Amino acid sequence: MKVFGRKRFEAGMDAELRFHLDAYVEDLVRGGLDRVEAQRQARAEFGDLEAKKDECREAGGYLWMDELGGDVRLTVRMLARHRGFAAVAILSLALGIGANTAVFGLVDAVLLRTLPVREPDRLVFVQAAGTEGVNGGPPYPAFELVRDHAASFDGVAAFSASSMELVIDTEREQVRGLWVSGNFYDVLGVAALKGRALAASDDRIVGVGGSEGAVAVISEAYWWQRFGGDPAAVGRTVRMAGGALTIVGVMPSAGMSVEPGRPIDIAVPMMLSNPDTLRDRGDWWLDVVARLRPGVHGEQARAETDALFQGYMSDLTMPPAIRRLSFDHIELTPAARGLDGLRRQYATALRVLLVLAALVLLAACANVANLMLARATAREREFAVRLAIGAGRGRLVRQTLAEAMVLVGAGSVLGIGLALQAQRALAACFAAGNRQIVLDLSLNARVLLYTVAIGIVTGVAFALAPALRAAGADPAAGLQGASRSVTGGRRSLRLGRALTVLQVALSMVLLAGAGLFVRTLERLHGLDLGFAAAGVLTMEVAPDRALFGTPAWLALQQHVLDRVRALPGVGAASWSTMSPFSGRYRGSGFFVPGVEPADPRATEVHLLAVSPEYFDAFAVRLAAGRVFTAGDDATAPKVVIVNETAARFYFGERDPIGQLIGLSRGQAPDRRIVGVVRDARHDSLRAEVRRSVYVPIPQSVDRINRLALTVRGAGDVGLLAGPVQEAIHAAGSNLLVTNVATLQQQVDRALLTERVISAVAVVFGGVALALACIGLYGLLAYAVARRTRELGVRLALGATRGGVIWLVLREALILVAAGGLLGMPVIALLGGFARSLLFGVAPFDLPSVMGAVLLLLVFAVLAASVPAALASRLDPMTAVRGD
Amino acid sequence: MRKPVDLVQGTLDMLILKAVSLGGLHGYGVLLRLRQLTNGQLDIQQGSLYPALYRLERQGLISSEWGESEARRKAKFYALTPAGRRQLKAETDSWQRFALVVAGVLDASPEKA
Repeated sequence: MKVFGRKRFEAGMDAELRFHLDAYVEDLVRGGLDRVEAQRQARAEFGDLEAKKDECREAGGYLWMDELGGDVRLTVRMLARHRGFAAVAILSLALGIGANTAVFGLVDAVLLRTLPVREPDRLVFVQAAGTEGVNGGPPYPAFELVRDHAASFDGVAAFSASSMELVIDTEREQVRGLWVSGNFYDVLGVAALKGRALAASDDRIVGVGGSEGAVAVISEAYWWQRFGGDPAAVGRTVRMAGGALTIVGVMPSAGMSVEPGRPIDIAVPMMLSNPDTLRDRGDWWLDVVARLRPGVHGEQARAETDALFQGYMSDLTMPPAIRRLSFDHIELTPAARGLDGLRRQYATALRVLLVLAALVLLAACANVANLMLARATAREREFAVRLAIGAGRGRLVRQTLAEAMVLVGAGSVLGIGLALQAQRALAACFAAGNRQIVLDLSLNARVLLYTVAIGIVTGVAFALAPALRAAGADPAAGLQGASRSVTGGRRSLRLGRALTVLQVALSMVLLAGAGLFVRTLERLHGLDLGFAAAGVLTMEVAPDRALFGTPAWLALQQHVLDRVRALPGVGAASWSTMSPFSGRYRGSGFFVPGVEPADPRATEVHLLAVSPEYFDAFAVRLAAGRVFTAGDDATAPKVVIVNETAARFYFGERDPIGQLIGLSRGQAPDRRIVGVVRDARHDSLRAEVRRSVYVPIPQSVDRINRLALTVRGAGDVGLLAGPVQEAIHAAGSNLLVTNVATLQQQVDRALLTERVISAVAVVFGGVALALACIGLYGLLAYAVARRTRELGVRLALGATRGGVIWLVLREALILVAAGGLLGMPVIALLGGFARSLLFGVAPFDLPSVMGAVLLLLVFAVLAASVPAALASRLDPMTAVRGD
Repeated sequence: MRKPVDLVQGTLDMLILKAVSLGGLHGYGVLLRLRQLTNGQLDIQQGSLYPALYRLERQGLISSEWGESEARRKAKFYALTPAGRRQLKAETDSWQRFALVVAGVLDASPEKA
């Protein structure tokens, strides 16, 4: 078969045939004929010109294109005539293909895509590891050691994401920043779009930067968002942490960092970060990425790096038990796809979604196959006639395949459209909130290839049975009109039943799956958070840098609280170092005198500094002792409050009130427990409640800079956002307010995966149910049409209308029962597969399964009622007489 | 003139190869040469020539090239390829054997007892 050169072929053929005719005419004229007569004769002797041309095309290998074109045109005409069939078939396919394209787009973005860097396969992360798995890169001095002494690498770079505060012109804003070693983009092999990338020479002097002073690069996305794509942004000076920064370049957004899904606005050299942290030999705040030298084996590089690391660790005082956990040795992990946080978080969810989408596609296939089969049966006579007048069987098969391809083509186009819409909605979900996940879901070659591949597989899958049927059409039987016989079409009816059972089974599985996820979400929503989420507004407030940790900031806090509390509708307001479900966490040690637990993790607690009103604002109830008061200030004796989990864990049956404890190892216990509060969840609905310890803000371990403000109000607290911010700015004009959200929104964001999965599962379940109903209806209507004569005989012989209705309903119920039985084991399988996503429901959850069964029964009866009613209204006389 | 003989099926290709083997020809030239060679005794439908030519070209037995006709018009000229030459020889051999056998059968007369 040939595809190319068709135009040249046609032109050549025309010229050649014209030459032949002309030459013959000339010869005839020379022989004495009149020219007109000669032309007539030449034509006549040549034979049918168009037919000959067709033969030439066939001989030249081009005819199949014409025939295919004919098939496609015929199909389009046929589909235009049978709009209902076309609409249902195309929509089914669009839903199936769209679901798969959308989910695969997510899978591609999250799981498959490699970083847009030079030779990604040579990049590795250098990570400390222990029995607890890998744990990020080594401290800065250790990084320097590896960078300067490891011969296995072409380059070693460090980075650490951190939210940063910028002042541009006079406006303060919080941006997503990244501390990078100067060689970071050099190691990655990412070039600037405008200006230049950072260089090692920009990262030489602590607190200064390099020869050009303090410089930074921004991402393309931020460049557009903040500077409107102004070329003059390169060279501009912005202020950060009191110093000036010159923007020297714009980097591609996706190449800005190596953490997929986590957007970075600005990258600043390490030397401009906190000098104490840079010097600290025991601060594990970095990630380290390195480029393997060509030809160097991974294990060889690891051994070399590990030797350097072990040397470094030998000077570091760290309890051996802790070291074993996470800081035992160095491991190199592949960095081609970036840090795996996003992948780890979503891998299971995405796999489950892929399975669900595949089931939907299968249901769509079964549905279209069923429809096509019914049409093929209806067209038996047409096929028989075409065979009888000489059409090849191959041609009929091809016609059926062409139909399939036209349907798949239309379905794919529509499906891609649906997928893009769905992805936009999903991307928006993920991009909301404190911890944004930004996914590039634009269609790429891999996703399109996937769509085309599943389209072709789908087309072949659903067209196979009808195509074989077309090939097997019997011209004699078709022409005799055997289709009206009592037994006719039994074979296709059997196949149709099988397909319908499959559809029922699939929708059963998807509905039960949806039930699992919806009930999981319900269970999670129903959990006792330990605080009242409704009616609480939170936001983060940062003072000017100069105020960090000062008494003036403490005074300003009180001033803000007074202002906010005075607002109408505000019940309570408080400060804390972080709010629940904000994604922030502060671990601390907790040491009870005389107790040295064997497992070092047993000393870890979650530490919050809070203002006295905190427990009131969150409605966290006091279990024993007292809450903080204004008297617990910097000069008063240090006090702490623990939650019940911590009290139980450290003191068992003993009374914790009055006990002295310490928050850092090796120091005399200096803080007295004055109260025990009820457990409140901080960051996860699924995990056990953390051991939490509260200290008063004036007695905080850390310097107090940014704080979370919590406001409890009546009614819709979202409405308080504006007035509260005004009040804050009235109290201190230079306060930066960020991350304004209701607590409920923050909690909901923690359930994002669960919400997305259950929403998708419900949509998929609904689609499958609709498809099953269509299949069921089609099959029963067809069966009734087939059995017209039989039903007529029954009615004539005295069968009641109710009996006939029951006959049809019974068939529907048998199909549903068969499908249900077929679906059961698959439900159990799917549940097991998705186990880690479930909460509070068993993988084979009886209520979900029963719900699915019930739903299917109701809809099956509805779908069957129309054909049943039709059957019961048959006129026995007409039915028996037939055509 | 006697009524022209019908072409035995499948022999047209062979005849074309033969005609082309005697020197490069355009399609019309093939027709003229066949008429000349058969003394007009073979009925060749003109239109059937071209599908046959295209088929042979696709099989690699003849090759074509655009050139100029005697009347200075653009025309497509065909020539035998090495594969075509081999094919022609093989077909000629088998045809001659076939013709001999058939002729032998048809010439048979009742044996004298």
